[in-house]
Amino acid sequence: MGINTLFDIANSAVTAQRLAIEVAGENIANVNTPGYSRQQVVMQNRPVTTSNGFALGTGVEIQAVRRSYDGMLQQQIVDGNSTYQQNLARQSALEQIQPSFNEVATDGLGKALDNFFGAWQDLSTNPAGTAERQALLSRSQVLVDTFSQMSNSLTSVSKVANDNLIGITADVTGNAASLALVNTQILSTQAVGGNPNELLDQRDLLLQKISEKVGITSKLESDGTATVKLAGGETLVSEGKYATLYTNAVTPPTNNILLSGLGYPPPVKNPATDTDVSGTVGGAGNSLGEMGGTLAVRDSIVPGYLNKLNELASKLVTAVNAQQSIGYGIDGPPATTGHNFFNPAGVTSATIALDPALSAAKIAAGLPTATDPIPTSTGNNANALLIAAIQKDSTLAFSTGSDSFAGFYNSMVSTVGIDTQAAQNTTTQGAAFLKQLGTLKSSNSGVSLDEELTNLLKYQQAFQGAAKVITTATTMLDTILGLVR
Amino acid sequence: MRVTPGMTADNAVYNLQKERAVLDVLNEQVASGFIVNKPSDDPLTTRQLLDLQNQVSSGDQYLSNITKGSLLLNVTNTALGGMSGLMQQVKKIAGDMASGTTDPQIIANATSNLNQLKSQLIDLGNTSIGNQYVLAGFKNSAPFASNLVALGTTPVVSTRSGDFSGTNDSLSVEITQGSQVATNVSGGSLLRGGTPPAAVGTGATAGIGPVDILGSIDALITAISNNDTTGIADGVKNMKAAGDQIVAAQSDVGGRLVRLANTQTMITNNQNTLKSIYGDKQNVDYAKAGVELSQQTTAFNAALATTAKLTQLSLLDYLT
Repeated sequence: MGINTLFDIANSAVTAQRLAIEVAGENIANVNTPGYSRQQVVMQNRPVTTSNGFALGTGVEIQAVRRSYDGMLQQQIVDGNSTYQQNLARQSALEQIQPSFNEVATDGLGKALDNFFGAWQDLSTNPAGTAERQALLSRSQVLVDTFSQMSNSLTSVSKVANDNLIGITADVTGNAASLALVNTQILSTQAVGGNPNELLDQRDLLLQKISEKVGITSKLESDGTATVKLAGGETLVSEGKYATLYTNAVTPPTNNILLSGLGYPPPVKNPATDTDVSGTVGGAGNSLGEMGGTLAVRDSIVPGYLNKLNELASKLVTAVNAQQSIGYGIDGPPATTGHNFFNPAGVTSATIALDPALSAAKIAAGLPTATDPIPTSTGNNANALLIAAIQKDSTLAFSTGSDSFAGFYNSMVSTVGIDTQAAQNTTTQGAAFLKQLGTLKSSNSGVSLDEELTNLLKYQQAFQGAAKVITTATTMLDTILGLVR
Repeated sequence: MRVTPGMTADNAVYNLQKERAVLDVLNEQVASGFIVNKPSDDPLTTRQLLDLQNQVSSGDQYLSNITKGSLLLNVTNTALGGMSGLMQQVKKIAGDMASGTTDPQIIANATSNLNQLKSQLIDLGNTSIGNQYVLAGFKNSAPFASNLVALGTTPVVSTRSGDFSGTNDSLSVEITQGSQVATNVSGGSLLRGGTPPAAVGTGATAGIGPVDILGSIDALITAISNNDTTGIADGVKNMKAAGDQIVAAQSDVGGRLVRLANTQTMITNNQNTLKSIYGDKQNVDYAKAGVELSQQTTAFNAALATTAKLTQLSLLDYLT
């Protein structure tokens, strides 16, 4: 035991405090880095010796640089993000659909239907009137145009969703590739006995990013690497290998989601042999991730509305044509019958159109009566009254039960409202939940500048103290050397 | 719990965003004047509002039908009024001639007068508005023919045939759901006693409706020309019944006009009620919105102020 021991102790202290200052510096530097978990140094005293007759340590050493981290919280954030992004994708699509159905603020299909039947009422008051007949024709054209406009806007929402899948899959593949790389680095850092704290942060952040896009189950292996499987159980990332998630366009213009084999880099895409995960990648009921939300918009939300719109168009075409074709126009003499009003081939909202042969004179306002037999007179309004009455017929058999045209359409508007409201509410709740989880995570892992500055002062003073010990030891050594001289 | 400046910043952003959203909704309501601006604002109220809108617009359509129906009925009524006046004169001439005469001048005067009155009846029978002939049923052409025919008298009297070519249908319009009102009168039944025309009453059947008014006038002219006092007496009875027939049609039309007017009042009242319900559900209470806006603005200001203060705090300010 000599003065040299003093140097050893002071030296260990200087080293340890300097490292602690480095850690504080790293924390401060990464105060705004997403996914970064603050690190703390854990110091312990070095082995005790009894060389001078009593037990005394031999200085200080850094036992570990610990990462403040809560695995359970991290898992919840991953799951919460997945659901949140699904809702967000649905909400944004529904908010694009809603304006088409916003009958409260603007005149849409409901008003067009109303005007259409109103024109029949007007015609019934003057069946031979050219103005009335022309008004009916132009209002019918507006009705047909409104149908196709709504159909177009719904279809374009669906098309945008389909196109978005390309970006989503590319994003997932990119992050999967990064994760595979991080996994490799974690393994190699550990192989040389290093502590891959920052790499673990990156791993967690990448897991979170992937889960925002698709539903995944992730497993953290004992060696620190993450294994990621898609919702359907297919492996996306395993150690240093990953698979390519990509879209493959098939007819009708639809993107299927395919997954290639594993590798680094993965094997070349081959749509013929790669796994088709379209049905499972969005999770059960397409409930997970932006992918799930986008698929739900494309495959169930938009087709659902479109089907109802088509049903309305089909019922209208059938009902009006049935009545119009038994009536008589004023295209005579003699007046003719058997003309369609709408083109019978167009029974969807996209294809509904006026019959190409229809003219103002062929609009069948007349229906033969005992006193006005075939060919009917130009002032006969019996059929116009019957067609106008279709508007109020509440016994039309719709898929949702008996209803009138207006009733069915109003229910549909209300349904769009309910769906949009539900998506907005769940998104708001999801955002609140994620915010709470984020707060908890920050509380545990976030960097506090004030805290780090305090640490900085603490370690700086300890460093100065240790340096002072060295100075003291040097003076002592000088004194002893002076005795010798 | 450990609180980091990052948490404070995230919380501030989240809460400021929430308050902004509330302010935005209030602003939208005040600016538009409506509570429900999109179906998702309140889906169930939206459904009710749309139903109300539909009812109001149906009411508007029925009111428009009633206006047009009233126009047609009023024109019909005017024509009937004219006819009624003409029948008074026909009855007077028939009465004056009841005892018969052989004076050719008087006979010529009477027949010529009756012929003129009949002509005017036919003209009134062809009353139209636009291309709609109010007594023609479903036809859009003059219902009573104006071609000249000779009556079997000496000297020969030429008169307009007055053959009815219209139909006996009613041009009905819908005035409330499922309820229709005829806006015309059948000319055939009115002036010819039916289609084909009823037989001219003689003897026991004289003065019993329905009366072929135009035919009976022809018969009267013939009777006067031939100084046939029995025929003239039958004619007097027939003309009285004819006058009644037109008055009956007048009161029928009058009744329908009253029905239209009543329905119009009812629908108008109904529209007012519906619109006021709609307003209750949809119109913004500006006072309430204003107070809420002011409260939210205060809260938002406070949030901004505290955020600005808190984010400035740092130990760095005190380290030298």
